[in-house]
Amino acid sequence: MVATASPATRRGWRRYSSRTFYLFVAPWVLGFGLLTALPLVYALGISLTNFNGVSDRWRWVGLRNYAELLGDTDAIASLLRTLAYTAIAVPLTVGGGLGLAVLLNRRLKAVGLFRTIFFLPSVVPVVAMAIMWKLIFNRDAGILNAILEKISVTPISWLVDPNAFYALIILTLWGLGGGMVIMLAALQGVPSELEEAALVDGASRWRVFRHITVPMISPVIFFQVVTGVIASFQVIIQPLLLAQTNQVGRVAEVPQSTHLFMVQVYQEFFSGNRYGYGSAMLWMFFLVILAVTLVVLRSSRLWVYYEVDGEADR
Amino acid sequence: MTLTRRPRPTAGVTGTYLLLMTLAVVFAGPFAWLVLAALKTKTEWVAIPAKMLPETPRWDNFTAALTEINFPAYLGNSLFLSFLYATLVTLSSAAVGFGFARLRGFGKRPLFVVLLSTMMLPQILTLIPTYVLFARAGLVNTYWPWVLWGLAGSPYLVFLFRQFFAAIPTELEDAAIIDGCGYARIFLRIFLPLSKPVLLTSFVLSFTWIWGDYIAPALFLDPDHTTLAVAISAFYLDPHGNPDDTVQAAAAALYVVPVLAVFLFAQRYFIRGIVSSGLKG
Repeated sequence: MVATASPATRRGWRRYSSRTFYLFVAPWVLGFGLLTALPLVYALGISLTNFNGVSDRWRWVGLRNYAELLGDTDAIASLLRTLAYTAIAVPLTVGGGLGLAVLLNRRLKAVGLFRTIFFLPSVVPVVAMAIMWKLIFNRDAGILNAILEKISVTPISWLVDPNAFYALIILTLWGLGGGMVIMLAALQGVPSELEEAALVDGASRWRVFRHITVPMISPVIFFQVVTGVIASFQVIIQPLLLAQTNQVGRVAEVPQSTHLFMVQVYQEFFSGNRYGYGSAMLWMFFLVILAVTLVVLRSSRLWVYYEVDGEADR
Repeated sequence: MTLTRRPRPTAGVTGTYLLLMTLAVVFAGPFAWLVLAALKTKTEWVAIPAKMLPETPRWDNFTAALTEINFPAYLGNSLFLSFLYATLVTLSSAAVGFGFARLRGFGKRPLFVVLLSTMMLPQILTLIPTYVLFARAGLVNTYWPWVLWGLAGSPYLVFLFRQFFAAIPTELEDAAIIDGCGYARIFLRIFLPLSKPVLLTSFVLSFTWIWGDYIAPALFLDPDHTTLAVAISAFYLDPHGNPDDTVQAAAAALYVVPVLAVFLFAQRYFIRGIVSSGLKG
């Protein structure tokens, strides 16, 4: 059903042919329909059933899954935990990335080396990241407790409650170099005349940073906040892989404090075989993420500065 | 003008260096600890109090990592899937990006808005329903999902290509059109050859996505057909069924080294990909 007979095609000039356009974008349009829209609609469909993933003997249950979800204290708790994780991890990663970028945006020797060292962790695949940090957080053999012992702190069990939450935050922060690189590029785009003029006028370094540099790069900070929020809502692999798998087999018992919402969804699907209920959770989560994203987007007019003279379109 | 960017006094330079060096140790520490763990014997690893360095570096863990599980087979699966996906997704995203940058069509603007919003859509939401659908279609435990994901293009890479193509002057294609050249030829003969750096960026980025992905292979593939990422996360067990830390460390080192190497060689392509999407988003 590609729109071949749109008004634009009748102009007769091939350059403006809708058909050519749709031929080129067809892979994405079809892919979006088949691999994004269809699964979402399908999930909405099974969220209204008691489907268990195997049996064909399912039936419609209306909104019962959603009603159950509203009273499901475990699910609500994991949702709140996810919000807390986001509220802590995003400011720390964005702020940390900005801080490192400011440090590196100076005429120093070996800046390139430092930039590489800070950026490298953000390209490490999540599986390797989890393995590396489990070696560090290891209660007996890990280096973190060894260092802490030097300053006579008794060994801490990092990967169980309640510390697992902090371990997860630390692991997240290790990857903030990706944001740093973007901030650094943004800082280098700030015209130095502005800052220098303010310095000449007697403004302090901090005031220049606060009232000139930060507003100038606020669109980039904003973008980092938006993508950071969306990314931290999705976190599932880190808690699964950081969980201690002491027992035979792979069923990891994820600690309460890192039991984020997607972990809960995953378990409803694959441990509980409750596909209908799990899908209802996915849809509710979708709406929550949408709402939070819209709130963040709306907030932008309060603190994001956009240049209006169109100079950005060079 | 840019040469005299910051004619700044040297106040606090020493302090900055100290801070940077401390941070560098913290950021590089996990890599060092991984390698040290991989070079230790099991008794050295569990020794109390923990030791920093192994008595003598041992490579046994690396040979064990390669032989305890079918490492070459998983490596092959990872390479194959990453290569397959990166090739398909790069070509398809380039074509779609070209469409959005250079062609006019009915409904192009709303379609582009949809594309940009899917960049914001958490992928994890669609993954599980996709799994359920694909399981019913018999596509689980095949590589077809990656073919489909590749063909569909990635909104992020489409955006990358669109930005690049939109900046190319129209004279080139005007001349080609006057010469009677169709858009397929213009795309293949003019725009693709011009976009080698972006093609490379796209290929490198998408290759590392699949190489590093855990959740999709864990869901869609059986243990025999899975990728290195899944294999190293769970398959190294000692005879009692407990995780074999030192061997796993060696395997993880083997698994990240190619990523780091590619990154160090192609650093500017990585950074370009990250920065251009982050700045212009």
